[in-house]
Amino acid sequence: MSKNPYEVTAAIIYDIIEESPTIRTLRLRPEKPITFRTGQFMEVSVPGIGEGPFTPSSSHYISDVMDMTIMKAGFVTEYIHKTRIGDRIGLRGPYGKGYPLETFKDRDVLIMGGGVGMAPTRSLFLTLLHDIDDYKSVTFLAGARTPVDMIYKDQITEWRKIEKVTFLRSVDKVPEGEVWDEEVCLVTKLLNKISIDPHNNPVIVCGPPVMMKFGTFDLLKYGYAPQDIYLSMEKKMYCGIGQCRHCVIGPYYACKDGPVFTYEQIKDEENIWE
Amino acid sequence: MIIEKAALNDFLTRCQKEKLGDFKKVVAPRRSLKTESDLFFDNWQADQQFVIDSYRTIDPLRILFYLSRERILPAQPAEEKRLIVGAKACDLRALEVLDKALINADFIDPLYENRRKNTTIISVDCNEIAPTCHCNLVDGKPYTLRGFDLNLTKLDANYYHLEVGSGKGQELLDHMQKYLKINHSSEDDLQTRNENRKAIEKRLKLQNAQYERNQQYEILRNIDLTKWVDEAFTCCGCGGCTNICPTCYCMILNDETTGDIFIKDRSTDTCQIHGYARVAGGASPRPKMFERFRNRYLCKFRYMPSNFDLLGCTGCGRCSEVCAGKIEFREVVRRIMSFGKVKETAHV
Repeated sequence: MSKNPYEVTAAIIYDIIEESPTIRTLRLRPEKPITFRTGQFMEVSVPGIGEGPFTPSSSHYISDVMDMTIMKAGFVTEYIHKTRIGDRIGLRGPYGKGYPLETFKDRDVLIMGGGVGMAPTRSLFLTLLHDIDDYKSVTFLAGARTPVDMIYKDQITEWRKIEKVTFLRSVDKVPEGEVWDEEVCLVTKLLNKISIDPHNNPVIVCGPPVMMKFGTFDLLKYGYAPQDIYLSMEKKMYCGIGQCRHCVIGPYYACKDGPVFTYEQIKDEENIWE
Repeated sequence: MIIEKAALNDFLTRCQKEKLGDFKKVVAPRRSLKTESDLFFDNWQADQQFVIDSYRTIDPLRILFYLSRERILPAQPAEEKRLIVGAKACDLRALEVLDKALINADFIDPLYENRRKNTTIISVDCNEIAPTCHCNLVDGKPYTLRGFDLNLTKLDANYYHLEVGSGKGQELLDHMQKYLKINHSSEDDLQTRNENRKAIEKRLKLQNAQYERNQQYEILRNIDLTKWVDEAFTCCGCGGCTNICPTCYCMILNDETTGDIFIKDRSTDTCQIHGYARVAGGASPRPKMFERFRNRYLCKFRYMPSNFDLLGCTGCGRCSEVCAGKIEFREVVRRIMSFGKVKETAHV
C-alpha cells in the first residue's frame, strides 16, 4: 500500500512562553527533525482532542526544534493552552507553499502582522534576518489590540538593533493602567510612517480577516501592485493535502496552493475575507 | 461475447461460497424488502433477489470504496479481493472523479487506492431508469463506455452481451470460462445490444426533456444571488444530498489517540452545514443557508471541473430522491441557468 499521508511525528513541548493573555508560544522538539520552508504550515494534533493547522513562528533554518505561536480561539486551541512542558503532541507536515523568498531578493521587503498573525510573519522575518545581506531592507509593521496583546515583546529590542531592519509597532487602544510609548493607531495606518517605494517591492500581510481586508485596500492605495501583495489566507485546512475540500477558494485549495496567495491570484474569488 | 444469465448467477454464487478466483466477496444490487423500487448493495446470496440489470442503487458506489467513517491512522491492512456486479455508468463516472481526487501527485488515500486495486467491477447497462435519473443532461449515457472491467448488456430474459474493458476484466473472463460457457456474439447480438441502448436512451431523453438546459456552466457564478435564495427556500441544510452524492468526498479527521499511538479516523462531511468552513477565529465564508446551497452547485459545475477536468455531477439524481425539502436538482439547474441566459441577452 502507498505511504500513509496522515503519518504523525510526535513532538515534546520543552518550553512554553506566555506571550499575552490569549497567545502562547509552544517550543517543540520533534522526535525527528522537520524541515520546512517559511510560510508552510503544520497540522498540530492534541492527542484525543483534535487537530488544527498552524504555521511555525521560528526560522526555517532550524529543524530540530520548532516554535508554534497559538491563540486560544476554539476547541482545539483551548486544549493547546492547557498543555504543559513535557507533554507530547503530534505534528504532520509541512504543507502548502512557502513564501517565494527567491523573488524577494534585492528588494525592500515589507511585512505587516496583526495579533497572532505576527506568528507566521516572525518565521519569515527570522528567516530573512538569516540572509539579511540578500535583501535591500526589511520593514516590519506589527499591530495588536492593546499593549498586553502585543506578542514577542522580549525580542523587539534585539531586532531593532539590526542594520537594514525597521520595526514599528502600534496598538488600537491603550486601556487605563497599561503603558505604551509607541504608536496608537490601526496597524495599516503605520504605512504613513514609512517611506518604502511600493513599486516592484513585495509586502506580506497576515492578521485577522478585517485587517487583511482593509490592509490590502490601504496597500493598493499606497501604490502596491496586486501581484506584490502576499496574503496568508485563514481557511479551515483540515487535512493539509487537498483532500478534505474545506479550504477551497474557487479553483484553489488554500492548503496546497497557498496558504499564501498574492492578491492578484484571489481577488476575483468569493468571500475571501471571511 | 454472450453469457447466459442463469450460468452467471451460478458462477457468482460459487464465487461467494467457494472463493473462486480468490474473490472473498461478491457485492451486487439487491431489491429492498420494504419497497419495490429501491435497490441497495449487499453481499451476494443465492436465495436473495439480486437485480443487476435495472437502474442505479439507492446508495452511491462510492460507499464501497470510501467509507463514511474509517480508521486511517495507524495504517489499516489491505483488504481482500472482491467482485462488484451491477455497477452503473453514472457511478463509474463518479469513480473517475474520485480517482483524480484521491490518487494524485500530492497524496494517495491508501484505503481508497487499496480498494480500487482489489476490486473487479462488472458493470451492467441500465435497463430501467429511476424517475430522477438524468445522466443524459450531463453528457452521460445509461450504459458504460469506460471505467469497467467487464460490462454486460441485457439481450433478452436469458442472455447478456459481454464486453471486456481492462486487463483485470480479461483475467476474470479467462477464469469464468473454466466454469461456464461463454459464446461468441453474432452481428445480430451486437445489433440487439445497440438497439436496447438506443431505446433506453430515448426513454431517458423523454423523461428529461422538460429539464433541458444551457450547459455553459461558467455563467453559474454570476447569477443574481436572490435567485439562489428562492431556490434554497425549502432547503433545511440536512446534508442528505452530499451524503448520497457519488462524487462528494469531503471529509473531516477525528483524533482518537490514546496512550502512545496516534489514531485518526476519517469521516465524510457536508458543505451544507455552517461549521464546515467556519474557522476557529469565527470567520465564515458561507454563513447563510442559500450560500451553502449554492456552493454545492458551484462545486459540481465549476470547482470540480477546474480541479479535475470532469463535471462533479454524473446525473444519478440521488440528491433529488433523498431531499427532505423536495428540491428537484434538475429543475434548480435549469431555472438558474435560464436566468443566466436572460442576463446575457440583456447585456447585448
